[in-house]
Amino acid sequence: MTQSTIRLTVNGRIHDIDAAADTALLYVLRNDLELNGPKYGCGLGECGACAVLIDGVAARACVIPIEGCVGRDIVTLEGLGSRCNPDPVQQAFIAEQAAQCGYCLNGMIISTKALLNRTPHPSEADVIEALRFNLCRCGAHIEIMRAAMRAAGHLVGAANR
Amino acid sequence: MTDPDAPMDVLPGSLSVVRPAGSGANGGFETFIKITADGSVTAFNGHVDLGTGIRTALGQIVAEELDVSFARVVVVLGDTSVVPDQGATIASETIQITAVPLRNAAAQARHFLVAQAAQRLELAVEDLFIEDGLIRGRDNRSVSYGELISGETIRIDLKDDVPVKAVSAYGIVGQSVPRTDLPAKATGELVYVHDVRVPSMLHGRVVRPPYAGVDAGAFVGTSLIAVDKASVRDIPGLVAVVRIGDFIGVVAEREENAVKAAAQLKVSWKPTPTLPDLKDIETALRANPSTPRTLIDKGNVDAAIAAAAKPMPRTYIWPYQMHGSIGPSCAVADYREGAVRVWSGTQNPHILRADLALLLQRPEREIDVIRLEAAGCYGRNCADDVTADAVLLSRAVGRPVRVQLTREQEHAWEPKGTAQLMEVNGGLNADGSVAGYDFATRYPSNGAPTLALLLTGAVAPVPAVFEMGDRTAIPPYDYDAIRVVAHDMPPIVRASWFRGVSAPPNTFAHESYIDELATEAGVDPIEYRLRYLKDERAVDLVNAVAERAGWTPRPVRKEPAAEGDIVRGRGFAYALYVHSKFPGYGAAWSAWIADVAVNKTTGDVSVTRVVAGQDSGLMINPDGVRHQIHGNVIQSTSRALMEEVSFDRHAVTAREWGAYPIIKFPDVPRIDVLMLPRQDQPPLGVGESASVPSAAAIANAIFDATGVRFRELPFTPERILAGLRGAQGVAPAPMPLAPPQPPASTDRWKNPFAGRRGAVATAAALCVAVVGVASAVLPWRSIAPIARPDASTWSAATIARGQQLAALGDCAVCHTVANGAINAGGRAIETPFGIIYATNITPDVETGIGAWSYPAFERAMREGIHRDGRHLYPAFPYTHFAKTSDADLQALYAFLMAQPAVRAETPANTLAFPFNLRPLMAGWNALFHQSGAFQPDASQSATWNRGAYLVEGLGHCGACHSPRNALGAEKASAHLAGGFAEGWEAPPLTSLSHAPIPWSEDELYAYLRTGESRLHGVAAGPMAPVVKALAALPDQDIRAMAVYLTSFNDAAMDEPARHALGARLEKSTGARVVSASPVGARLYEGACAVCHAVGGAPLFGSRPSLALNSNLHSAVPDNLIQVILHGIAAPVSSDLGYMPAFKDSMNDAQIAELVTYLRRQFAPGKPVWTGVRAAVHLARHRISR
Ligand code: FES
Ligand code: FES
Repeated sequence: MTQSTIRLTVNGRIHDIDAAADTALLYVLRNDLELNGPKYGCGLGECGACAVLIDGVAARACVIPIEGCVGRDIVTLEGLGSRCNPDPVQQAFIAEQAAQCGYCLNGMIISTKALLNRTPHPSEADVIEALRFNLCRCGAHIEIMRAAMRAAGHLVGAANR
Repeated sequence: MTDPDAPMDVLPGSLSVVRPAGSGANGGFETFIKITADGSVTAFNGHVDLGTGIRTALGQIVAEELDVSFARVVVVLGDTSVVPDQGATIASETIQITAVPLRNAAAQARHFLVAQAAQRLELAVEDLFIEDGLIRGRDNRSVSYGELISGETIRIDLKDDVPVKAVSAYGIVGQSVPRTDLPAKATGELVYVHDVRVPSMLHGRVVRPPYAGVDAGAFVGTSLIAVDKASVRDIPGLVAVVRIGDFIGVVAEREENAVKAAAQLKVSWKPTPTLPDLKDIETALRANPSTPRTLIDKGNVDAAIAAAAKPMPRTYIWPYQMHGSIGPSCAVADYREGAVRVWSGTQNPHILRADLALLLQRPEREIDVIRLEAAGCYGRNCADDVTADAVLLSRAVGRPVRVQLTREQEHAWEPKGTAQLMEVNGGLNADGSVAGYDFATRYPSNGAPTLALLLTGAVAPVPAVFEMGDRTAIPPYDYDAIRVVAHDMPPIVRASWFRGVSAPPNTFAHESYIDELATEAGVDPIEYRLRYLKDERAVDLVNAVAERAGWTPRPVRKEPAAEGDIVRGRGFAYALYVHSKFPGYGAAWSAWIADVAVNKTTGDVSVTRVVAGQDSGLMINPDGVRHQIHGNVIQSTSRALMEEVSFDRHAVTAREWGAYPIIKFPDVPRIDVLMLPRQDQPPLGVGESASVPSAAAIANAIFDATGVRFRELPFTPERILAGLRGAQGVAPAPMPLAPPQPPASTDRWKNPFAGRRGAVATAAALCVAVVGVASAVLPWRSIAPIARPDASTWSAATIARGQQLAALGDCAVCHTVANGAINAGGRAIETPFGIIYATNITPDVETGIGAWSYPAFERAMREGIHRDGRHLYPAFPYTHFAKTSDADLQALYAFLMAQPAVRAETPANTLAFPFNLRPLMAGWNALFHQSGAFQPDASQSATWNRGAYLVEGLGHCGACHSPRNALGAEKASAHLAGGFAEGWEAPPLTSLSHAPIPWSEDELYAYLRTGESRLHGVAAGPMAPVVKALAALPDQDIRAMAVYLTSFNDAAMDEPARHALGARLEKSTGARVVSASPVGARLYEGACAVCHAVGGAPLFGSRPSLALNSNLHSAVPDNLIQVILHGIAAPVSSDLGYMPAFKDSMNDAQIAELVTYLRRQFAPGKPVWTGVRAAVHLARHRISR
């Protein structure tokens, strides 16, 4: 693949990237832009660890080459908010202690955000469908569901789901 | 061991609690607690946080004993340069065992400081109290820890017998403190080992041997024949290819280039020896040599069983399972002489350091292992392997190297949670009591030496035997006659401990068996257990759980009322998890009541609710314990329902999440956690206990629902169905298959422009050889070369028009190699007769067409003759191009001549005799070619005629979409009736189309314009660049093509009817077809459904519906196979999204299962494809786009 400069807009900032056009977006986000939110999990679009928002829609950065991202608006976990100023979805995940190791957390938060972008008041079934293809090995599903429901504005009941 | 004092001080002064370091640490000391003059506290622990929140719990313990606020405490875990060596983080030891010295150290520091304060304040110790590190007495006298320490370096030796706080005095321990790591994790601010970047770091990948997942035997480390370094010469920024024994790594400046190099590197290996058949675990484990080790032998077991009224021998089987970390292992290493640093996700930093010392032949003190968080692993995954890989690569290149394992490597090579075979011999006495219990367990060992040690030959690949099969091997029941024997055995494949080690399998047997006893005795299963359960805390727990779940006694199983296909049941199981070296320690007590719903038609089991009770003793952080129970319940439910590693006879075959599925959100049970309040009792490990009763509780519930005992995991639909059928003697109802449709006569679809020639051609074909010889002497002549015409010869408008025509003719599609200069030729085109290389059509005088006059060009386009008089092969579709008007040909010529000249020789064709004889083409032309220009059909509309001109002329659709005869000519009688190109099927464009919904003009237009038709699918393979090129044409030309092509279709169905049919097809294929391949179904669910399931959450790109996709309905599987193997890396537009290639993640057998499943599921009316596996093999090995 011929090397060219590719212009990406990530978290509101413009970056000119010197990499082959077929380079997976994930590598560029992690290595060139030093963003740690998106994670490598499978490289096949199966697990969701690498999720980002592209034009507000959830996308799996491991299977999208940067040439397909030109002129699009890319947002990573870092672009949602920070420890000092978290996005409401991040806030909900922190409040519900919704992780064990947290490796899947990026995908869970991004997928929830994408869901709320298109459906501001999702049902529990909507949330399950939105997170269905995000894998978690630690079994943090219950806390993650509670966090997503909290982010969706549902009142969350006491201890047990 | 470096001294942790120096770099960490802010204000001078510190108090440390230390003990002399053990061996390997060079005579220093290990620090447990350090308090500095600014009042901050650092606690050091040799274990690591595997995602279970022990960092927070340890911080709570230290804060409690020191009487400081939780926020002051920083917990440092697993950095070999500063933390004590406390062995690997295994079992549930951290809180129960490893935390003890830390707690003592904190208490000791408090006693010391209070004594100091008493002196300083001139008050009695009893009169002092502490608030967050401030020691106060009467008269407002106070002094802080920091002040007491300031300016001094105090070191106290750790003691074992330190008075610690009474539990009743606890203020921090026992509270649900929020985990400290979550805010950073939720915002991408936490640095996992995957996120480490050090200056001048390079990226490495490893290439693993073909004996994936096997680590014992003489072939390990000795199987590599050759590495062809030249095969990766073209990779930009490649730094090194490293080979040591069977270890291979590549290093590049950029990660994606390391990925490319690893994929592209040509390596040859010796054949891999055959493994035992691991589809039959029982036989494999029985055949594996073993040594019996008796753990208990009480009463006269043999006599008791011999006297049993009802003997009940039973066998239980546990499969190989994966740790399945969501993040494949990763590490960074920086190798320098005398100072090696590694950043690792290891579970056992000190053991890893010893491994690295052995690998590098360096003393341990030169090696610093820095432990960072990684993805939850629940046992030993590839974290140590990848650290050693990184060290080897860093040593080779002299710079820091980061190595990331691939998903496929982690799946294949992680040391598996081992399979296990449990046999119970026993039975009932006439009074329903247990006669005797003779338990034998076979557990292949799990040493799993760090891989690089084996691959490089540093450690001999000799299988070692460990005593690990004994965890919870003694049942918790007080049987009078009991014998338990662990058969210790070497590994069969690479294995290591996985959450619960051998306890979940052993408990599966114990708890299934006692359920069977209760059923046979006609006693409620809980009541029956309580007869033999003597441990009071266990009895309390069992009763509490039964009450919480509303357990109704069930002495006799009742057939549940079925709700349609669904039957429901509930089951109980209990365990006290006994871990560590035999006889070991008990962790938390755990009991489950599981509710299941079993679909008797599909075999699907869903665990709908679990009441999980636990007695954990003192809970340091109750919310943390609750989350641990949730995690254990969900993970162990996943293991019981669906997890099993697949093997072929050489290696692990499960290399992605479709082949090894884990539980997803829709399948997660509701969980009701019951935590017994035991804050007055010592804390117990909670990291694994709740996993242990899982499989038995679920199996017992399935029995309650169905009346069938399942004694082998996982409870997959196929296993359940087989069990139900076995019990009921009902043969599987075969799915009714629609009979294959009779082949329609292809003569219906005549080329509307081919009427003039048929009969003659057919007759002539019979004597083609004669014609061929005759034509060889026909006087074709060369056309004289010209000087390359200047681009200024033509108007810009003409050139622009020529550009459109070149796009329509797809010149660049065939005449350009991947990543090569446009139109410079060299692309290999596979034909049935051999390989033809596309020529250079740039205006280079020597190697291209720069010396071609327009008449030479026109003759080539119309008659297939080279300027020098040679015949061209009809892979170059001059039979179509001949129809182009003069004006268009001139514009095309102008465009081509105006392009930059590129010098590029075309490789020689490799055609078989007689096709390598060009003069024969003259005869071919006589038979099959008409060189006349396009003649419109007056009876059709102007648009139709325009469409015909484009499709039949430069567009040359028929070149791929018409079948060809034995001589490679398009069959005039089956025009556009479907053909093949480059391993892809070019589907029929006529009403012979296999599409389940007939094509309409609008769908054709949408497809040709955007590359996607909602009712048919997206353009892939060779069609994607065609549609891409068509972007140069105006909308009305695309419309004209659609109009013309639609005229070959039966247009009976209107637009709403088409969409209604689409919706119907999607709905009817939405439910899983029971007879379809279950392996294929899992592959689909894991790999495909995320982007293809109807109604799934939107993802970037389109969501092609498989039920409507033409390729699934075709007579041949080729396109489906191609797209699964190679993906779609270059779609018509990025809006359509991308599809990954699965060729390196699934083997031929898996792809064949998937393809067969997809056909069955999404084209249920079509006949099953045959020869799929062979077709996959063929497609994998042919030239791919
Ligand atoms: S890493 Fe992208 S989906 Fe798994
Ligand atoms: S929290 Fe570990 S993978 Fe989800």
